Amino acid sequence: MSFTPTRRGALLSMVAGAAILIALPALADDVTLTFWGAYGNGGNSTQQDALNATLIPAFEAAHPGIKIKYVDIPYDSLLQKLTTSAAGGELPDLVRADLGWVPQFAKLGVLVPLSDTMADFKTFADATYPGSLSTNLYQGKYYGLPLDTNTRVLVTSQAALDKAGMSAPPKTFDELKAMADKLKGTDMQVFADGGLGGWNILPWIWSGGGNITDPDLTKASGYLDGPDSVAAVQMLVDLYKAGQIPNLIIGNSGATSTSDGLPSGNYATILDGPWMAGIWKDQYPDFTPIYASIPAGKGGSISVVGGEDIVLTSASKNQDAALEFIRFSQSEQFQVEMVKTGQMTVIPAYADQQTAIAPFYATFGEQLKTAKSRLAISSSSKVDSILSTELTPAFKGDVSVQDALTKAAGQIDDLLAAEK
Amino acid sequence: MDQVRRYLAPALFIAPGMLLYLVFIVYPMLQAVAMSLFDWQVVAGAVSVFRGLDNYARALADPRVWLSLSNSGVYMLFTVPPQIALGLGVALLLKDKSPAQPFFRVLYYLPVVTSWVVVSLLFKYLFADKGLINWGLGLQVSWLSDRWTAMVAICALGVWKGIGWSMMIFLAALQGVPQALIEASKIDGAGPWMRFRTVTIPAIWPTVAFVTIMLVIGGLNVFTSVQNMTGGAPGGDTDVVLTYMYRQAFEFLDFGYGSAIAVLLTLLVFALSAIQLRFFRNETMA
Repeated sequence: MSFTPTRRGALLSMVAGAAILIALPALADDVTLTFWGAYGNGGNSTQQDALNATLIPAFEAAHPGIKIKYVDIPYDSLLQKLTTSAAGGELPDLVRADLGWVPQFAKLGVLVPLSDTMADFKTFADATYPGSLSTNLYQGKYYGLPLDTNTRVLVTSQAALDKAGMSAPPKTFDELKAMADKLKGTDMQVFADGGLGGWNILPWIWSGGGNITDPDLTKASGYLDGPDSVAAVQMLVDLYKAGQIPNLIIGNSGATSTSDGLPSGNYATILDGPWMAGIWKDQYPDFTPIYASIPAGKGGSISVVGGEDIVLTSASKNQDAALEFIRFSQSEQFQVEMVKTGQMTVIPAYADQQTAIAPFYATFGEQLKTAKSRLAISSSSKVDSILSTELTPAFKGDVSVQDALTKAAGQIDDLLAAEK
Repeated sequence: MDQVRRYLAPALFIAPGMLLYLVFIVYPMLQAVAMSLFDWQVVAGAVSVFRGLDNYARALADPRVWLSLSNSGVYMLFTVPPQIALGLGVALLLKDKSPAQPFFRVLYYLPVVTSWVVVSLLFKYLFADKGLINWGLGLQVSWLSDRWTAMVAICALGVWKGIGWSMMIFLAALQGVPQALIEASKIDGAGPWMRFRTVTIPAIWPTVAFVTIMLVIGGLNVFTSVQNMTGGAPGGDTDVVLTYMYRQAFEFLDFGYGSAIAVLLTLLVFALSAIQLRFFRNETMA
């Protein structure tokens, strides 16, 4: 096949057209925003694909002159990369930050307080779950908006319910203890978790009616070591000593993980997030997880908020354009598209659409209404370290739960005092 | 002019390496010492508050620093002697030429060139509750859930991975033992043990010194295996100095404190090396 002159002419004009198209961004005063995140973590490309193929093009079409360059960074190295970039003054415009990092970076002074800069901040903030929103608060200012959220709920299996002779998952602390009694002598342990940080034990403390600090974040003593907090942790320690919780909880990295132990019948219940559905579908196709609210104690059924926030760095030279993208991230289009890839929406108004996409989200959406966030302080990672360091000997039986929590509360008091 | 010419050539040869050494080793080291005197703010342009020796006082009063230092010390004590003994033993076995010798050399050296991260994960699985070690020994031990059993697993990895390196160095040294001396001692009626003690060991003594000093430095600097096998769990009980330091700096962004711990470790390693050098030098004289 050879080209006729007309074809060749058409081809030439196409090439010329393409050249002009490529040259255009250079001619026009285009703004390119860099956006860092870990959407692709775990080799899962669906979220990145939704962002790069659907959402960013939609935003760019609606905002001529603004280009978004998304850079995917593995979750495990993102914090370190952000730290070194902050040190070198090389931060991107926008970051999808783990919610625990927001106060840490706000303290470093590298984030723009959206509640000051964004005229319509309140409109967007009011539309989100309060627990998710509060993760952006640092010393009276909001440094970001929730981007996606998740929480932990109780997950169990039909096999576990059958073994314990129960018709429904345990709804209260007492039912969980009863379940443990029923499982005594079997090869199944009633509950498993992979650590003793805030993410792990706060749901038990809050549901038990306890707390970690006063509402104003000034004191942990009297709260974290108050009677309700102690009783909640004591319940876990008692179950641990009875052999009903595996030593995975004190950090035995050689124990069967919760994600394997539940479908394999080693563990009757675990607390976990919405991302597990996809993982189990791949690895345990025959396993059907049963989701239920966190067992309720004196304080009700209260879980812990997880997820990511979108933040604007003070290194950004195009803050107005970046704010436009932040607004877009709160839109129905963005939020619902991400739900399809396994990210829960931060806006309760879209919860029904979310449940329609995957019914199991309903339990998580319900749990989120009362879920609380961990301490919004710059040293929140230290809180996790203090909790697990002090609670480990309590689980091993070397110290009492009361003493362990009093010691932890004293150290957290110091952190809180240093924040002021 | 002659003076310049005399030094120019060697200076030019040294310059590239020296430049890299100054820029990537000496400068960061001095920078770390400087950081350790501040409440260091990592962000460019932020003002760091000078704290003098506060970070050092804090480190010396921190029981977790001492705990992690004792773990590093235990690791050093239980990995250095086995690596020397087994490395030397294997080197003696592989010294003589045989068809199988290259095969065994590669076999013993393979762990040395394998990535620390990979073998750490491998050992984590071997020592898991339902891992190969428990299965093979018929045990039900939660190796990684307790300070001392976890240290057993971590030390086992250190020895296994290190034997090949000391074997290689000893092998090279053994080639250099004068054959004439060995034959002379044979004629004098010395048995294998006597020959080893009175001929081989003195001949390779400088190598023993080198291997010991390097292994002690390496032992106190253990990091990757602990970070990947236990991460300091349970509750920081298996933390070594470098994992504790890493957490202070890169998780809590307390770079001043992390640097102070690093400087203290450097001083300790330096002092230990100096003592060992003196010890080995005196022994040679005797």
